[in-house]
Amino acid sequence: MIGVKLISSFRAGMQVVKSAKLRSLSLMLGIIIGVASVITVIAISTGIKAQISSQIRSYGPDIITIRPTSVGLGSGLVRGSDLANFSISNPMILKDIKTVSQATGVAEVAPLTLVSGPVKSSSGVYKPGFVVGTSSSLPNLINQSLAFGNFFTSSPANNGNVAVLGQTAAQDLFNENVPLGSSFTFHGQNFVVAGIFNSFNATPLSREANFNNAIFIPNSTAESLTNDTAPTYEIFARAKQVNQTSIVAKNIAAALDTEHGGVSNLSVSTGNQNIAQNNNILNLLTGLIAGVAAVSLLVAGIGIMNVMLVSVSERVREIGIRKAVGATNQQIRSQFMAEAAFISLIGGILGLALAFIIDMAIRASTYLTPIITWQSVVLATGVSLIIGIVFGTIPATRAASKDPIEALRTE
Amino acid sequence: MPLIQLQDVSKLYGFGDATTLALDEVNLTIDKGEFVAVMGPSGCGKSTLLNLIGLLDKPSHGQYRLNDKLVSRLNSNQAAKIRRDKIGFIFQFFNLLPKLSALENVALPLTYKGVTQTKRLKIASEMLDRVGVQDREYYLPGQLSGGQLQCVAIARALVNNPQIIIADEPTGNLDSGSSRLVMELLSEIHKMGNTIIFVTHNPELTRFATRVVYMHDGSIVHDESSTVGRVANRARKVLYTLPATKEEDDLAGVSLLMKALPIKSSISDRLSPKYLTKNNIKRRSKRKALGKQAK
Ligand SMILES: Nc1ncnc2c1ncn2[C@@H]1O[C@H](COP(=O)(O)OP(=O)(O)OP(=O)(O)O)[C@@H](O)[C@H]1O
Ligand SMILES: [Mg+2]
Repeated sequence: MIGVKLISSFRAGMQVVKSAKLRSLSLMLGIIIGVASVITVIAISTGIKAQISSQIRSYGPDIITIRPTSVGLGSGLVRGSDLANFSISNPMILKDIKTVSQATGVAEVAPLTLVSGPVKSSSGVYKPGFVVGTSSSLPNLINQSLAFGNFFTSSPANNGNVAVLGQTAAQDLFNENVPLGSSFTFHGQNFVVAGIFNSFNATPLSREANFNNAIFIPNSTAESLTNDTAPTYEIFARAKQVNQTSIVAKNIAAALDTEHGGVSNLSVSTGNQNIAQNNNILNLLTGLIAGVAAVSLLVAGIGIMNVMLVSVSERVREIGIRKAVGATNQQIRSQFMAEAAFISLIGGILGLALAFIIDMAIRASTYLTPIITWQSVVLATGVSLIIGIVFGTIPATRAASKDPIEALRTE
Repeated sequence: MPLIQLQDVSKLYGFGDATTLALDEVNLTIDKGEFVAVMGPSGCGKSTLLNLIGLLDKPSHGQYRLNDKLVSRLNSNQAAKIRRDKIGFIFQFFNLLPKLSALENVALPLTYKGVTQTKRLKIASEMLDRVGVQDREYYLPGQLSGGQLQCVAIARALVNNPQIIIADEPTGNLDSGSSRLVMELLSEIHKMGNTIIFVTHNPELTRFATRVVYMHDGSIVHDESSTVGRVANRARKVLYTLPATKEEDDLAGVSLLMKALPIKSSISDRLSPKYLTKNNIKRRSKRKALGKQAK
């Protein structure tokens, strides 16, 4: 019985669509765009959340990161970004690294210190590359393994003019995959390649540059090359005991504040905090854009209402005929509601299809991997159905309330 | 037990000074199986009467009993259900839905009964067969002739197996050939036991009726039973005066139509003392009452 009604409503809806093809397409456009943008925004945000949290998970939730509060956001969305895009107004210095490593409960520390200057090899100057001073603890802290060779250790013998390269840097500097033992010149000194990292994950929206282009040297070397002036833009630390991570983070923050005379211009956060922070920002953004999209859906709904009102006034005679052969007001109302819902649902489905196309385009042209979840598919379908029903109510009620005789008299 | 019973039924349109008395305390009883022709000049209330009987409209005053059940105060949903189950309509302008095929048009009333699609189309196809246009099942109304359209409309009126068929000028838009076809179809339906009420301006068509009701100015002024196959007596008067277009008439500005309709006779009826005393006094008192209401 319900099935019969649905099918006949569907057929009736098809009639409306056929009878006003262009008009219904133009009003479907509102729904299509609205649904497509909501789904896309949610998909992008879901994708970014997944990427960031997987990245942070790979660093480990027990990693404490210390950053200046005012580091400019690197444009991680763009391919080939490097540290030239960074603006560090308040970089950390050597003393900060010491303070962190001496804070109670800290097991190991790795700074990221940026050393500017051209890198020269036999094949010329390597422009996209950048040199980072760090400690032997880095691979362990950020959970990054080496493909070839070894990372420098903390013993002074193994510590000096050695370097470990990101994969792209290795390839670009020496035109070979395993340039172990090869050397390059930096600040007038010769460096020997001791190891090569496995490829780093893409890091969208995060502050790290693409480490595949990076050249890592011991922090002590970096400091001596620059007379202790190289800026440190990030410090990683790990607590001795994992369950002490947040307490240790507080210790570090307190120690830094004391060192800076009570001014806290550094942010100390744990992996879990990072996830929460990023999610908060993303949720806010998503909410905002989804809100705009919701307004567009509202406008689309009003469009549907208008077209349905026009349709009702054009079909008064039809309403009269249907009533004469025994349609009740409720049946007429259901018919028009179903038509509105049908138009809107088709719009929603087309919008969903468009969202999938946009999704593929984004995957192909950026580092983002939007994720369209089944929940958002259900949401889109449901919302477009509801829009049809809500905005179909007034036209449908108007249709249902037509007097049969007057309706039959109209032309 | 009469099928249709109208008791002092009036229908008013409009308000105040613009009030029209479309039906004036009409009393009419129709038994099951009658084939009633309703005649009368334009604007005399024929359509209003049929709409009331067909429950498309409600009387302003008076009572209407259908199958001995009071139906004059039903709400629109109750009325719709009775229309669906008991009444079939045939209109002058066919009133088929232009975007549905003949078959779908015929099946339409069944939709509102909740009959499944396949069953609907099967019944509709049988109905089209009965009215002789089965070979036009998948044609749209725009592709059919007037006569065929009316046959489809008749099939639609029959599809719910109604007790009563109401036809307001079913031949009003047809040539004489198609008119005959349609009336013969209605005759057959009548023979199957249906009650049919139709409006016509063509006296010839009273041949098909078992009873002819003449209206004037909202009232029934004459009511005669007639033999099937013969033009009703009153209608015959009209018929035989019809071709008499005399030059004097044209000069005097008397239109043929005025002569053609049974106005003259009804006027003479109304001038008879019996009619005056009984009907006009009632009318006058009602006008007064209306006047008071308006104030
Ligand atoms: N909706 C309405 N509002 C006001 N007056 C109306 C309305 N419907 C009908 N009338 C009036 O009621 C009277 C009877 O109308 P009705 O349509 O019943 O006449 P009819 O006998 O069917 O005429 P015709 O032969 O031309 O179809 C007319 O005077 C008409 O003007
Ligand atoms: Mg009429």
